Amino acid sequence: MTDLIANLALGMDVALSLKNVWYCFIGCLIGTLIGVLPGVGPIATITMLLPITFGLDPVGALIMLAGIYYGAQYGGSTTAILVNIPGEATSVVTTLDGHQMAKQGRAGVALGIAAIGSFLAGCVATIIIAALAVPLTKMALLFGPADYFSLMVLGLMFAVVLARGSVLKAIAIILVGILLSTIGTDLESGEERLTFGWTEIADGLDVAVIAMGMFGFAEILRNLETTVTRDVIQSKIGNLLPNRADLRTAAAPIARGTFLGSMLGLLPGNGAVLGPFASYTLEKKLAKDPSRFGRGAIEGVAGPESANNAGAQTAFIPLLTLGIPPNAVMALMVGAMTIHGIVPGPQIMTKQPQLFWGMIASMWIGNLMLLVINLPLIGLWVRFLKVPYRLMFPSIVLLCCIGIYSINNSPVEVVMTAAFGLFGYALVKFGFEPAPLLLGFVLGRLMEEKLRQALVISRGSFMTFLERPLSAGLLFVALILMLIAILPTIRKSREQVFQEAD
Amino acid sequence: MATQAPRNRGADNRVTRSSLDIGGGLFLLGLAIVGYVGGFSLPFGQLSGIGSGLLPKVVALLVAAFGVALLVQGFLSGGDKLDQWAIRGPIFVLSGVIVFAFTIRPLGLVVAGPLAVIVSALADKDTRPVEVAILALALTVASGLMFKELLSLPIPFDPRGLIPEPVFHAYVGLKSGVAALFAGLKAIISR
Repeated sequence: MTDLIANLALGMDVALSLKNVWYCFIGCLIGTLIGVLPGVGPIATITMLLPITFGLDPVGALIMLAGIYYGAQYGGSTTAILVNIPGEATSVVTTLDGHQMAKQGRAGVALGIAAIGSFLAGCVATIIIAALAVPLTKMALLFGPADYFSLMVLGLMFAVVLARGSVLKAIAIILVGILLSTIGTDLESGEERLTFGWTEIADGLDVAVIAMGMFGFAEILRNLETTVTRDVIQSKIGNLLPNRADLRTAAAPIARGTFLGSMLGLLPGNGAVLGPFASYTLEKKLAKDPSRFGRGAIEGVAGPESANNAGAQTAFIPLLTLGIPPNAVMALMVGAMTIHGIVPGPQIMTKQPQLFWGMIASMWIGNLMLLVINLPLIGLWVRFLKVPYRLMFPSIVLLCCIGIYSINNSPVEVVMTAAFGLFGYALVKFGFEPAPLLLGFVLGRLMEEKLRQALVISRGSFMTFLERPLSAGLLFVALILMLIAILPTIRKSREQVFQEAD
Repeated sequence: MATQAPRNRGADNRVTRSSLDIGGGLFLLGLAIVGYVGGFSLPFGQLSGIGSGLLPKVVALLVAAFGVALLVQGFLSGGDKLDQWAIRGPIFVLSGVIVFAFTIRPLGLVVAGPLAVIVSALADKDTRPVEVAILALALTVASGLMFKELLSLPIPFDPRGLIPEPVFHAYVGLKSGVAALFAGLKAIISR
């Protein structure tokens, strides 16, 4: 306990330096600004803004990146409430009741309660991260290569279970991600793999290139063809601060949402995405009058939004302690951290405590920042959202181009990004979800490395994965998950959960 | 993420053969073949010392297997139809990006910026020329100030000196104004 306080104090010391508060502020502000754009989710936002952190020291850069991430998340919720277009999967649920509230002239209250709920959830999540970081990091040191490999298999199985639509397609797309990760020079033998003699990709593909293509450009292509009737709220935004009755109704959902979101975010697969769905379903079950849901029930915004933010934050735990990204956004964070010379994993906390605790403390500051920035700026976001898409998308294209060019000052990468835009568009057209691909891509490299190490240690015996208790346990859970994904009865209920959310 | 499988999965879209799954299966098979061919000459190694070829080949074979499974499913159990593919959007948006890539180094953002905006804007058939021209200009100046001057990214702005002198003066004025403002803010912050 005293350790926890001492660690957080160290973190606050770093994060509260004026310089870092400024970076956090800028990150949150620009993150929200870009995240508010319809069809621009956190992945595209982070990729686009990655270059602006290049001039900073690693601590400042990470703080700003985290700020951008929260800003983008919150911006997505704003768009969900005001325009009924969810920026990412996690704010799909918010559109249900949030947009209805907005239509009833209570947009302000919806945004207000989302901000307040997110802030409270963020506070709790920060403490959870701080409390779990030390024991989990210690645990990570017990992990051998075989255990790591099995943990990643488990994470990918989670991603399969949580992906929408066909299980076949979900597994296949992760495999495609792994296949893409093998492109480039093999680290052990130095042989070029799958490059077809093309020197530009001898170092492998950049995760930012794939992310920007599939989540920036492909998303524009998709939005262009569905002439989206954006129904930006025309009525007044109304009061921002919820009244007493609202707060009383929302308090318990916020608490429950925070709990659910934090727990699910910890999972090694894309658990965070489940938080808002779970919270919404729970609130609907608990409500005295479930028919209010879908017609502007404040609990339907408060709970899921808290779960969303809590999960978004605790998703950092697997990355920071084990070095394993749990979802596509965190996979991108790995790329971002690598650019700044930081290798995510248990060694960060022991070797760079300033960076580690500074970043965790900045999460709390970032949440406070969002509250302070967003509530007064909502009018601005509304005006922003009224800009027609025909003007919005060329601007997004230019920002994406500048962003991707600046990462390595490489025009070739810009062209590759365009190719991945087309690739991402094709994936969506064939009914594949692109997010698991990104996760597979980043985990693929790690998995191959750990697989090789494990097999060297065991002198080529695959039994090592079953003989080590930790690894065997993780694989067993992965197997159960696989069965869950395949068994028809459970599959049906899984589809129901997603459909309810639609 | 917002990119989900096509939404319109109504009853009218269901057919006995699913062109969506068949297409998806063929797509996977294509990827698998490219992957396998690309890794063809790489050594497999032994289990105690895995060669560079093992993972690409095994994964490519797995992708192929899933492709076949999807094909079979598409032929046998039916499902959704393949959506119509847009042509205009991808062509213009991606051309805009590629034009940017080819002009940014030799000509700088002054040329690449407006070109990317104008070409990609053609993707929407409701585009209005005057509007786009203003947008292209404004975005180029704004992103020049923002990325080049404030964030000092090494992005070429006007390497050929294409901007006529008086316009350039105005830009420099604007730039130093913004820079002064930023320096002021920084001074306040770091005090």
